[in-house]
Amino acid sequence: MRSSRSADRSLSPLAGPTRGLFGALVLGAFLTLGCDASLAAPMPAAHDGEATPVSGGVLHLSSFADIRAFDPANISDGLVVELLELVFAGLVNYDDEGKVVPDLAESFRMSDDGRSYTFTLHQGIHFHSGEELTAADVKRSVERALHPDTPNPMSSFFSMIEGYKELQSKASEVLSGVRVQGKYLVSFHLTEPDATFLPLLAMHTLRPVCPNGGARYSDTWHACGAGPFMLPEKGWDRGREINLVRHPGYFRPGLPHLDGVSMTFFVNFMTEKYKLARGEIDILREFQQPDLVRFQSDPRWLPFGQYEADKQINGEMMNTEMPPFDNVELRRAVASAIDREHYRLLKATALRSATQPIPPAVPFHENDWDCQKYDVAAALDHMKKAGYPYDPATRTGGYPDPIPYTLYQQGLSSYTAQVLEQDLAKIGIRIQMRVVNYPTYLALIGRRKTTAFAPAGWNQDFPDPSDFTDTLFHSRAINDEDSSNYAFYASKTADDLMDRAKHELDPGRRATLYHDIQKQICDDAPWAFTHYYRFYDVHQPYVKNYRTHPVWTHDVKFSYLDRAGEGTRASLSRLGLAPAAILPRWP
Amino acid sequence: MVKAALRRLAYVVFVVWAAVTLSFIASNVLPSDPARMVAGPQARPEDVARIKKDLGLDRPATVRYGLFLSRLLHVSSLPDTDAAHKTCGTLGPLHVDLGKSYQQRRPVLTILGERLPRTLALAVVAVFLQVLFGVSAGAFAAKRRGSAADTATVTASLLGVSAPTFILGLFLQWLLAYRLNLLPLDGFGKTFADHATCIVLPALTLGLFGAAYYTRVVRDEMRAELLRDYVRTARAKGASELGVVRHALANVALPLVTLIALDLGGLVGGAIVTESLFRWPGLGSLSVTAILDRDGPLVQGCVIVTSAAIVVSNMVADGLYGILDPRTRRR
Repeated sequence: MRSSRSADRSLSPLAGPTRGLFGALVLGAFLTLGCDASLAAPMPAAHDGEATPVSGGVLHLSSFADIRAFDPANISDGLVVELLELVFAGLVNYDDEGKVVPDLAESFRMSDDGRSYTFTLHQGIHFHSGEELTAADVKRSVERALHPDTPNPMSSFFSMIEGYKELQSKASEVLSGVRVQGKYLVSFHLTEPDATFLPLLAMHTLRPVCPNGGARYSDTWHACGAGPFMLPEKGWDRGREINLVRHPGYFRPGLPHLDGVSMTFFVNFMTEKYKLARGEIDILREFQQPDLVRFQSDPRWLPFGQYEADKQINGEMMNTEMPPFDNVELRRAVASAIDREHYRLLKATALRSATQPIPPAVPFHENDWDCQKYDVAAALDHMKKAGYPYDPATRTGGYPDPIPYTLYQQGLSSYTAQVLEQDLAKIGIRIQMRVVNYPTYLALIGRRKTTAFAPAGWNQDFPDPSDFTDTLFHSRAINDEDSSNYAFYASKTADDLMDRAKHELDPGRRATLYHDIQKQICDDAPWAFTHYYRFYDVHQPYVKNYRTHPVWTHDVKFSYLDRAGEGTRASLSRLGLAPAAILPRWP
Repeated sequence: MVKAALRRLAYVVFVVWAAVTLSFIASNVLPSDPARMVAGPQARPEDVARIKKDLGLDRPATVRYGLFLSRLLHVSSLPDTDAAHKTCGTLGPLHVDLGKSYQQRRPVLTILGERLPRTLALAVVAVFLQVLFGVSAGAFAAKRRGSAADTATVTASLLGVSAPTFILGLFLQWLLAYRLNLLPLDGFGKTFADHATCIVLPALTLGLFGAAYYTRVVRDEMRAELLRDYVRTARAKGASELGVVRHALANVALPLVTLIALDLGGLVGGAIVTESLFRWPGLGSLSVTAILDRDGPLVQGCVIVTSAAIVVSNMVADGLYGILDPRTRRR
């Protein structure tokens, strides 16, 4: 008996509550040690300010995400865009202010009727594979990207080009709307004037690919374009990293300055911070919230941090085809009851209160206009008009049933849902949260008569207001499945205005039209617009000529490294590449 | 003998088929659209529809399931360069076809072929560390029962059991890579030497976590063994303490083999958290991405490897029982 008790005791020297407490202490100690609060000092530059550009060195980036494909004809993730920008040059591109400017094209002109655009190419531009880029390559690349067998998620954006329907239906193997007018002259012909054509052309989808890309898309093609950097053999290790090297035949003399750009994928936020401290990456864009606050409050890092453009709108979507939001007054009540400041404070380092559908970085956003605003008295008035009067003093009345609210587990929505719940309680509306995973959420929100109320957001595909208004609120965007008009909102007035704005080429008249469109949408309230999201990044002081870009996120094409002791050979060696192994590929 | 082997093989096939079928049903019952996940959350309906057709998702689930099973293992005289067989792995006329990943647009077999060796390497090193640390510490504690050393070992093992791998992994990364700069923070590297250094942190994380269990098992089993008659007899005959421990350990091996087999099978399926934390490009991180992306063919491929690994490791354990303890052969 005695020996048995003794054995039990020795088997469990820490038993019951003591064991739990001990476990908690251990966990706490690990967490404390793991979450190192101090920030490493920035690594100094050799010179203050923007010095004479230095050639050489490799810029290192990282992300928690991954890229799925590396082909301008198959862009299905947000991260690859900044890498495609380095490898593929286009006829036109965006300047630092988001304005469309010529790039591979020396110049371009639009016909008087706004239906044709003619581009004159620079002569002597060479692909990474050595061949000269001609107008025929432009046409071949466009047809390759828009062919129906290409898994291009952005094909339909270019449906305004003549012959698109015939190509898609395989009635024709060529795109009649793209014509080679000479070795260096190519023209695009549209079915009708379209203000979105140039902004879309400046994106990556139709950018010229090397002749070895062929006339049709292939999953096994090795990416090759005419941009400042090229992808060497084995330069992309899927799911791990991509290493780009300088294109020695880039058509802009003396550029780029860097020998290469490297990006590592699937890196968790904590490791990214360590990598910045160890000099393994040069720019940090993804933070754990406490670290972001630390970087922003550290005077050593403050000069090297900046916000990226607000290119994202978020809000609460109300399905106009489903009760109770088929009642416009109830939608207006919700839009007025939400205090946007409550949302902003959830993540004050990244969020800004939203007042209108078009985000601040997109043309025709109006800075000093509260298209929708917080006004509880107005919200209560709308509740009364909707037939559900509510008395806040006695807490009587209001909408009788809880409204199902579908949200997903990632990101901010589980927090914003709590704010929403509290704000709506003030006007007598209760919500019932239904949490699903992200893929399920995506399927449900786009399915007709399925989701009455849900958080929704939209990121800029291309910098034109129609990317927000037409995609989210035009009746053409309604579909039984995969509808991007999540609210299933249909207004003839709004549709007409959006159609006119899309075909209007005069910026002044477009501005007026978009003001009217936003006003109509705000008033009909298919969404209650709540917040814009913006990212912040920091870079090491030795990364020069670096800036955030309104469209491409990072603009590192022409950045340079002003750090002593990092030459070309050392940089390539860090990439595990020998210069001789790369450069002979280019004649 | 042949009959027993065939029965075992049938068992393996049944378990793998059941696992794959369940995962196929689950991925088709959930209200989500793989084509939408491929096209991206903002793709237009017409583009999603085209991609859906391209991936064959416009066909009924039953048709796709039948096609999947018929392609999984088939006989063909055509080589894998033939258009209809380019996603196949071939062994003479025998073709294995897991299809093409929706997201990566590459044969699933190719992807698994890249990932499996890395996961196997991590699993083997991690289990080796578990056994090394666990058996040493367990035997040490058992030999000094009731002493301060015993208490310290039990406490340390409790530490290991209490700390989930993501906490332990973060701590080891912070200490060994960031603070002491002894190891790479994460990754896989390019050369064998790189791989050898990169594997240390994930293997150590898994090894320490698993070793905690091993310590407790070995300690308890050893304590029981050390009280048995044969140990007393051995000591009476003048056997050294090391010899006594060696004899006792041999008898502890049976439960240990079960643990090792289960761990090895589980780890081949992928140490999801640890692989993700340290960017070890194995099956664990691949499975997570595949599930989140609703990448059906890749999920099926991962399920086949995982379920096969667990069944096979259990069969190996059963075989080892017979070798370690001949009495079990008669049963």
